[in-house]
Amino acid sequence: MPAERAGYTVTMFLVDTSPSMGKTREVELPGTNGRDPEVIEMTNLEWALQYVMLKIQEMIFNGRKTDKCGVIVFGSDETKNVINEQHGGYENVVEYIPIAQPNAGTLAKLAKLVPSTVHGEPIDALIVGIETQDRFLGNKKTWTRKMVLLTDGENPMEVEDWEATAKKMNELDISLAVVGVDFDDEELPFHEENKSNIKKENEEFYHTFTSLLENGVVGNCDFALQEISRPDVRTVKSTMMPTILRLGDTQTRDEEAIELVVKTSKCTALARPKSWKRFARRQLTEKEKAEAAKMAKMDVDEEKLTFAQLRMRTEYYIDSDKNKEERAPSVDGDGTDDEEERQRAKEEAEKHYTKVEKEELVRGYKYGASFAPAPEGGFPKLQTRKGMDICGFFNRKNFRRELSMGEVYYVWADPANPMSQVALSSIVQAMYEKGVIAISRWVSRDNMDPKMGVLYPTVFKDVDCFLWVQMPFAEDVRNFPFASLETLVNKKGEIVTDHPYLPTKEQLNAMEEFVDAMDLSDAGEKDEEGNREPWFDTRLSYNPAIHRTKQALFHGAVVRDLNTHPVPPPHPELLKYFEPPRRVLKRAREAIEECKKTFNVREVPKKVVRVRKDDHVRAPDEDEDMLLLDQKGSARPGPSQSQRLTQGKSFAPSQSQPQSQSAGSLAQKKKAAQDGDDDSSATEPEDEEDEDLLLNAPRKDRAAPLPTPARSMSPDEVIDRRRAPGRIVGASFPLEDFRKNISRGDVVTKAVEDLAFVIKDVISRPFASRRFDEMLECMHELRKVALQEDEIDAWNTFIRELRDTCMEQKPGNKAFWDKVRGIGRPLSYISDTEASRQGGKSDISESEAAKFIQE
Amino acid sequence: MAPFDDWNKLDDDEEEELQDSSLYEGKRDVILFCIDCSPSMLELYEDPRFEDVQTCKLLTALEAAMQVQKRKVLVGPNDAVGIMLFNTTKRNENDEAGADLKKGTYVYQPIATVDAPKVVELMQLLDEARENPEKLAEMFPPMPDKKRVPVGDVFTSCNWVIRDGAPKTATKRIFFITDEDNPHPGAASSRLIASARTTLIDLVQAGVTVEPFFISTEEKPFDPSIFYSSVLLATNLADEDGLGEDGEGQILPESISIGQIDELLSQMRFHEVPKRALFSVPFTLAPDFTIGVKGYGLITEQKRGAYRYFADLGDRMEVVGSRTAYVDEEQETEAEKAQILFGMDLGAPSAEVEEEGGDEHKEAGAGTRSVPLGSRVFYTPDEVRSFRTLGLEPGIKLLGFKGRKELAFEDNIKHSVFIYPDEMTYSGSKRTFTALLRTMIKKKKIAIVLALTRRNSSPIFCAVLPQEEKVDESGWREPPGFHLIPLPFADDIRSAPIEKGFRASDELKEAARKWIDKLVVKNGSYPPDSYPNPALAYHNAQLEASAFREEFDSEAFEDLTEPKYDMIHKRAGQLIKAWKQAVHEDETANIVAAPVAGTKRKADVSVDEAEIRSKWEAGALNKLRVDQLKDFLKSKGEPVSGKKAELIERVSDWLQNHP
Repeated sequence: MPAERAGYTVTMFLVDTSPSMGKTREVELPGTNGRDPEVIEMTNLEWALQYVMLKIQEMIFNGRKTDKCGVIVFGSDETKNVINEQHGGYENVVEYIPIAQPNAGTLAKLAKLVPSTVHGEPIDALIVGIETQDRFLGNKKTWTRKMVLLTDGENPMEVEDWEATAKKMNELDISLAVVGVDFDDEELPFHEENKSNIKKENEEFYHTFTSLLENGVVGNCDFALQEISRPDVRTVKSTMMPTILRLGDTQTRDEEAIELVVKTSKCTALARPKSWKRFARRQLTEKEKAEAAKMAKMDVDEEKLTFAQLRMRTEYYIDSDKNKEERAPSVDGDGTDDEEERQRAKEEAEKHYTKVEKEELVRGYKYGASFAPAPEGGFPKLQTRKGMDICGFFNRKNFRRELSMGEVYYVWADPANPMSQVALSSIVQAMYEKGVIAISRWVSRDNMDPKMGVLYPTVFKDVDCFLWVQMPFAEDVRNFPFASLETLVNKKGEIVTDHPYLPTKEQLNAMEEFVDAMDLSDAGEKDEEGNREPWFDTRLSYNPAIHRTKQALFHGAVVRDLNTHPVPPPHPELLKYFEPPRRVLKRAREAIEECKKTFNVREVPKKVVRVRKDDHVRAPDEDEDMLLLDQKGSARPGPSQSQRLTQGKSFAPSQSQPQSQSAGSLAQKKKAAQDGDDDSSATEPEDEEDEDLLLNAPRKDRAAPLPTPARSMSPDEVIDRRRAPGRIVGASFPLEDFRKNISRGDVVTKAVEDLAFVIKDVISRPFASRRFDEMLECMHELRKVALQEDEIDAWNTFIRELRDTCMEQKPGNKAFWDKVRGIGRPLSYISDTEASRQGGKSDISESEAAKFIQE
Repeated sequence: MAPFDDWNKLDDDEEEELQDSSLYEGKRDVILFCIDCSPSMLELYEDPRFEDVQTCKLLTALEAAMQVQKRKVLVGPNDAVGIMLFNTTKRNENDEAGADLKKGTYVYQPIATVDAPKVVELMQLLDEARENPEKLAEMFPPMPDKKRVPVGDVFTSCNWVIRDGAPKTATKRIFFITDEDNPHPGAASSRLIASARTTLIDLVQAGVTVEPFFISTEEKPFDPSIFYSSVLLATNLADEDGLGEDGEGQILPESISIGQIDELLSQMRFHEVPKRALFSVPFTLAPDFTIGVKGYGLITEQKRGAYRYFADLGDRMEVVGSRTAYVDEEQETEAEKAQILFGMDLGAPSAEVEEEGGDEHKEAGAGTRSVPLGSRVFYTPDEVRSFRTLGLEPGIKLLGFKGRKELAFEDNIKHSVFIYPDEMTYSGSKRTFTALLRTMIKKKKIAIVLALTRRNSSPIFCAVLPQEEKVDESGWREPPGFHLIPLPFADDIRSAPIEKGFRASDELKEAARKWIDKLVVKNGSYPPDSYPNPALAYHNAQLEASAFREEFDSEAFEDLTEPKYDMIHKRAGQLIKAWKQAVHEDETANIVAAPVAGTKRKADVSVDEAEIRSKWEAGALNKLRVDQLKDFLKSKGEPVSGKKAELIERVSDWLQNHP
């Protein structure tokens, strides 16, 4: 089969949404961060759609304009397809997504699919698929046609005339993959218990059907999902770059010098994981916020968060702080720098920064502390001539492998020039036989920086070439001094032979045993002749970071929620070289035990950093205090801050609880401090900062605090409780506010007054009817409290005013008063009788109260 | 082409991978030269390099200091250097730094970031001293009557100088240069040794390392055991054996350099860059059998310094810092670091979908993704890191051993890293490491390991190549340890694009063999030291000239990497000529490449080189067709882009350069 051309493909996905696809299954998910695996439930449709989504994701990932797909759904409640429109029939088949290059929207639309109430006909879908694809491609004959059928095979099929369909598919050269939910698979192996007869027959049919196709296959969905995450190496064909191989002075002593046209191409090239894009939650503008709030009230379920992709931007600034040395971030030797610490130092530093525009800047170099101006575009470069110059040869045995600095290149003779091939071949072979390699200097283009390297003669089966690898310049080698491990000298200048740093004979023996036992040359799989092959082969070792990152990227783009659908575990193929082969470990067990015993290596407990005597003492870090404080804010839930943020608004109320508590206690603490000391803001600056951090940092995306300066530290401002100035009960959660204030005990009168105000306020607003029940509840509570706490007059005044507000004033709210009247006596005046029972007084008689509520 | 300043900009993710070199740049290095100024250091002798020039050890030491300054400025532009002299009667004036130092010590240059005026000042002093050999003795008069400053006082002064001038986080080192191995003979010796030792401990505890350079001459060999071995401690407290092991670890510090005065500079070169570990990780040989190792980058590409942006503040040029911000471009808002999440590029919406898509697509406009409340589709930075590390913690894990020959030439992708045992994390590491090293050398083995060296990098497989400890004639010790050579993954390997080609006959091979024989360096290897990076040197020379406001003379620049043409032609010229002759007469070489089957036959456009040359000589290149010109250029590996006029020019250039 000729190599498939990348792209130029239309893939049709035919998805079964019959009711049976709504059957749920349990899918085991890996535990994230060491947690136990979780089992979640999802419908077969959801599960199988993952396959389609991953396939489509791959297309998005590759981003080819010529890689298109369409989705056809069968077993849909509706009918909408090209054949039905023209000829009728083909019911319950819908062209769900027209053929196009997929994007994120395609995935979003797929995710909306749910099982229907009618079952559909797979063969109909196939025929619609063929027709849709064919019409789309028109005369584009060379395009590859693919079809993927996703079904559980649980529904009866009309298996007539299918031979014609198969024939048509072969004519059009369409390949078909049937991905079956719980189809039996010998290889996996999988066998479904209690399989229905219909499904048995259907499976049978699919096998027969695909066997008739030139390109047809039936597979188990589980297997397909597993295979799709198998690492797959993108083969890159290296470009051949022309250059010239030279020996001697080709310009003035041409006769005695060599010049060959050669081509270089990469032999190894460092591949990196696909980069991640950065996102942040988009903050709504005021207008949008209002709209969103309105939306939220009407339809809570539909609330969405929008994340925007971020772009990188570089800003320039002048640091006016001259003490920057003092707070230069420290970098640990072992590279475990404290990210937070650095971040903080940065923030601290920002205070001294003056932003400058790039256009105003001059380019130059630093020569120590001095400025060295450079001409536009940098200093002139060294004049060099393109080509690879041979400088000399040396014995291969003396080659120091560890000096190789980077990627390896092939150097080929010009494939179009036999003379160049023969000439290069003679040099390669002569060098190969003599066992020498050449030192060479390579300039890849005119005036590019030269690189030194070696040319290594390589004889393949049918062609000779060189391999080239870069060698270090003098500057690239760092000759750090290291103490000898073999020769220990004591202070008297004598050589020590017996020392804990030197291995004993016994230890050396144990090590030899160990090295022999851990040999990998026979630890691999058996080859065809039954001989064991070496274990570990670079050509089979996949870069785990690349493939794992890709898997996670895809997964994140496909699933609706990572909380319920965490990333599946890495493919076993990625981890196959992560542990020594079991065979070898078993063989080496004794040797390992012996080594452990004789070498007796012990981990040294980490020493506490000694306090230095002089003034180089590390200044106490603000950060440390912060951490402590964080812990004090006791009810800090498990997931990290950023995680909680992603979980979004719906978590906000519950989230705010612990935080407002801790903040509240802080506020109180501060208040106490203020009581004791009027200018406390100066004495407790740290506290203030901390509060700032606790309160604002996690919620920067929210509205700015309302202008209530006296209480700006109150936690309540953070969530807008819509409290009018001076009120302690807000319109958002009046009952909650009220109860909280009552429980404090000392602000009862105020609380009663404020709740009364809020109720009147709320019912005078538009759309108040939504909150009638809430308000009635408030009134019951208010009345109860009024009675108990001897606020009887307040209630009686309130209820009178409420009636007036409802009945007489504009805008009024007669409907609400009707409700109140409906409840009747329990919400009327508090009468003398009632009051006296609680030890209070009322100037309203029982009959007056009963009459009032009737009016 | 991208604007100049975008060239060097690394993608963010690469940055995380390529941290090796940034480690060196992140931390500043401070060196205080502490030079003996006694009469023996000032004693004049004939300069071995120049005729009729007198020099002295102090002059050479100062010159070495100047050279180090000049190099420092290029390698680490933020590094600071200072110079202090001792055993001189010269005193710092009251209003300068160092006025309160111990008697007998004098700060010539306080510690500060190296800058051009400072280097110039030292260069001028050196020039004057060469013309007038008495100059140094006049400037820094030695203490009379063979009196010497107690070494303890010298260290105390060093401590003060460093305290005043060095940033806290920097690595701080004292290059201690003297030729006197017995500074305190006589009765007080033991007391002075004790005080010197105490003050040195103070220094070490302040994070300062003393690196002695002892000058030895034939007449007066330097014997460290008289005085200094009782004073000096193991080099680096945190790095090596520590103070607490006085009883057992009676081993001399590793970094004492004793040598001739002429070797001073080359010895300093070894110490020029402070020895810093790239990582310190556990090396697991088998389950529950773990030692500690540190990794060092012995081979790291030295790149030219990055240019910087400067703001003209009128009176001076101030370097401008840069900061990367992540912004939501549509709303022009900057995202806070803590709020940034990671996901996949959303891709541009394709045209077709845009057309048919309704509101839904507008809502989820380009560059945004809407998700229902409470669900999560993006990853946190921690998760992203775990995808890269696969949940591994930093460490090296042994997988097994293979024969030395299994490490192929082409299995290379990055530079190697050197590992050396770290007794401070696991006691017994050194003996185990040494035993492993000896065994692997004896059995000619390499090891295969899985390595994750930094928390932020990703796991790689490495070949572990043992290096035997060797001392060469020059006294340079080849350090004992392992080279960790990163192996390519399947993802990094590219297959050979050519599988078949014409091959040479045996005669031709023999002809080639003859000139190769003549050009082989006996017992040679690749000598890095012979090849200073010419592009870097060219750049730095211009930078230096610019900083000193001098003219740069490009004519004086010598590229040492160019082949030694004269030598090549002298040794092998005739043999090469013979080989060329043989190639031209070879039958296979003259096969006209058969057109590849199946491709459309083109009209034969190939024009002989001789024909083109004659056209060129006749000035009639424009008679040739574009495809003919292109064909010719292609065969010479030259670009074939551009209009006909450009092609003709390029052909002329080539013919000009290849007579």
